[in-house]
Amino acid sequence: MQPPSQRFAADILQATRRHLAELVAANTEITLALVTSADGFEVAAQPDLPVAQRISAMSSSLQALSEAIAREAGLSRSRNLIIETENGTIVVLGIPDTSPRLSLAVVATGNEILGRLLWATRSCCAALGQSLQV
Amino acid sequence: MPLDQELKIVFAGPMGAGKTTAIRAISDIPPVSTEVENNDRAACGKESTTVALDYGQLLLEDGTAVRLYGTPGQDRFSFMWEILCRGAMGVVLLIDGSSATAVADLRTYAENFHRLNPSQPLVIGVGRTADADGRQLDEYVRVLTSRGIVAPVFNVDVRQRADVLLLIETLLCILEAQLPEANHAAS
Repeated sequence: MQPPSQRFAADILQATRRHLAELVAANTEITLALVTSADGFEVAAQPDLPVAQRISAMSSSLQALSEAIAREAGLSRSRNLIIETENGTIVVLGIPDTSPRLSLAVVATGNEILGRLLWATRSCCAALGQSLQV
Repeated sequence: MPLDQELKIVFAGPMGAGKTTAIRAISDIPPVSTEVENNDRAACGKESTTVALDYGQLLLEDGTAVRLYGTPGQDRFSFMWEILCRGAMGVVLLIDGSSATAVADLRTYAENFHRLNPSQPLVIGVGRTADADGRQLDEYVRVLTSRGIVAPVFNVDVRQRADVLLLIETLLCILEAQLPEANHAAS
């Protein structure tokens, strides 16, 4: 598989890496944060774990499914997707106004409060959206 | 059809083989789609790609409901292949016959889906061929046989409802042929 450096523009890579590093540094309960394209390619991950590629593909599938369910139910576009487990939480959010369409996926330990995680990830998405504005 | 009142069939194959188109061609309901922008134009020139599943439904003349699931084609979504094949009665594998990697694709996808459930019947539909004398299909049959996979291979145009129905009906015939054996084993 092509590395992200060959698939995405340098300014996209630079901005996503910077915002992900800031997000993880400010939220110690986040164990993995990644930006993925709508079709499942990893753009950047913090930390850069081997599992990030697979989670990128999975999160894009889940996001597409959540949007399909929202559509079927007559709801508007899904804002975020939350998976809560006994020992952690995964949040997937769309990043506004980007081309290609991008999403943020975050894995956090069970110690993180969901509201705080949502606030931090939404802020990161807004900042990413602004940096990557088309 | 004494099989069941509801059947699940999976459409598999590489990106651009026509899985979404095939389900659209036969579904009685507007299909559920999870297509997004394709950022891998080097692998396939089409604008959009399925990232989770396609879903359609087909009601047969005898009242049997067939649930149709399309898989994403790319290997990075192989986790969806396993999920979607759970409980499936059979797999329709679509191959783009005009692709330079058609034979390799056939080998890879047939082996992968056969491995997921070796008892699951497999039917192959090859599209975009100029195979007037059937040589290309013969080669595909040889490739499958050499891997221990027995599956009928058809030339199809997945935009044509009749062609896609032929694949479904063939799958149902195989399932029906397997029934006496299954009943015998159960008794």
